[in-house]
Amino acid sequence: MKGDGLCRRAYGRRLAFLQHAWATFPRFNLRASILSLGHKIVQEVSSPTSLEQAFVANRQRLLRFLTARGAGDEAEDVLQDLWMRLLAAGNDEAAVHPSYMMRAADRLMIDRYRSKVQAAKRDRAWAETQPGVLDDTDAAPSAERVIAAHQHTRMVHEALDALGPRAATIFRRHRIDGIPQRDVAAECNVSLSTVESDLRRAYQALCEVWRRIDEG
Amino acid sequence: MTPFYSQEVAAMHPDEHIRDEAAHWAVLTGDPAFEDWDRFTSWLESNPDHARAYDELMSQVGSATGMLIDYPVEEPLVAANDDEDTFHTLWRRGWFGPALAACLAGLVAAGVWQIRAADEVYVTPMGESMIVALGEGSTAELAGGTRLVVDGEDARSARLERGHALFRIRHDAGDPFRLVAAGDTLVDVGTIFDVRIGRERLDVAVAEGAVIVNPQAQNLRIDAGEGVVRSEGVYVITALPPAEIGEWTDGRATFRDATLEEITLDLTRATGIAFSVQPGSEAMRLSGSIALGPVRSDPRTLEALLGVRARPVGEGWVLSLD
Repeated sequence: MKGDGLCRRAYGRRLAFLQHAWATFPRFNLRASILSLGHKIVQEVSSPTSLEQAFVANRQRLLRFLTARGAGDEAEDVLQDLWMRLLAAGNDEAAVHPSYMMRAADRLMIDRYRSKVQAAKRDRAWAETQPGVLDDTDAAPSAERVIAAHQHTRMVHEALDALGPRAATIFRRHRIDGIPQRDVAAECNVSLSTVESDLRRAYQALCEVWRRIDEG
Repeated sequence: MTPFYSQEVAAMHPDEHIRDEAAHWAVLTGDPAFEDWDRFTSWLESNPDHARAYDELMSQVGSATGMLIDYPVEEPLVAANDDEDTFHTLWRRGWFGPALAACLAGLVAAGVWQIRAADEVYVTPMGESMIVALGEGSTAELAGGTRLVVDGEDARSARLERGHALFRIRHDAGDPFRLVAAGDTLVDVGTIFDVRIGRERLDVAVAEGAVIVNPQAQNLRIDAGEGVVRSEGVYVITALPPAEIGEWTDGRATFRDATLEEITLDLTRATGIAFSVQPGSEAMRLSGSIALGPVRSDPRTLEALLGVRARPVGEGWVLSLD
């Protein structure tokens, strides 16, 4: 069967995940998730779960997406990470839907990008804060730097509010309160395409303000 | 791929065009109802720069949204004796209710303050000052051209909308006085303090006690003999001679490293005479203290005091460098 390789690899990964979960995910209801994992391992010997079947069925589509999304040669590894995520989420019922998997894959790529950017920033910040590396700087963040960080909040608020109350509200309802775009449109009594175009403007405004913040 | 705004596309820089497309896709993929992942994949495959632009945009929007969640809104005028939970509840409703109302009815968000009942509004014309009682043992002395709004239900909560005022606040640790000025929140710790809203800046100076600036954000403590200037989003704390703080209430105008434009704004507030700056003279900076009586009777006395030229133009006076 085509999925065998994946299942066997996933089995090994699950044991690793089990150890990893103890150490790194205190927020989980550990006992419940580990019990359910144990249950799945037993189950797997006889027949793959529906999540596994769905994952295998969408494997090529996910791989193509991850490759195009920038994973390149690492697409296979990222696919494994995705599988671990889907398992860890413990939401099998939703996760069998292809759109859910694609969305999870998209989120995973965004997280990878962000952690790469963060790592690069940390390296830079380290050089900037090492005493002696750049003149006589203090290793602790200066008051000015802390204040500047808080200033950025104001810049973000202003950028959003500058779009006008409708666009700002649409953005907040969708992105902060998590309301689907169609419902936001109904709430504000505007068309879905108005919601989309307001969100597009908001995204562009926030990107621009964030670029300004990054450039310091 | 859908031409979602085709006319503009041709004139754009290629990167800008890609960023626009990335924003278009980011909006679509951000909705839980989005299904068309294959078309999104095709867009990504059509140019390797697409994935990078999309990642960058999603990451920047995510970071900015994170800030909006961490610090929901600038603090509104809220009764200071509300407990913290009520404060946050009101707070959340504070932006959402009005914003939604604005969204539905097409109102501007600024109109929302008028909906709140029974706030007391004090406005001084240029050249006239006024003393306002803020509950037991506390006052605000308003310079000319100032607007102060006091919460109708709680005199310990007020908003300085424009102008310049000296606050003398009786301290009550259980019920601190809270002032919102040009978007910043100031909370007193037993205090005499001066607040001045300029065109592009906010000046706060503390003569007695201390003031906390934006306790929910910067949380800066300004002690007696210190001042803070907010200009272009940056807060700078400086030491000040306490005797100079609030000196304007004795008929003097005090400037610290002020531009001629800021000085004319202060002079206009204090005297009611419309002073303005000759274009090209804005950059000059001055420090000092001048008595306003003589200026009121003859604006030409400014020439010697500030080292500028003053000439009458229409109803007002124009100041310029020699």
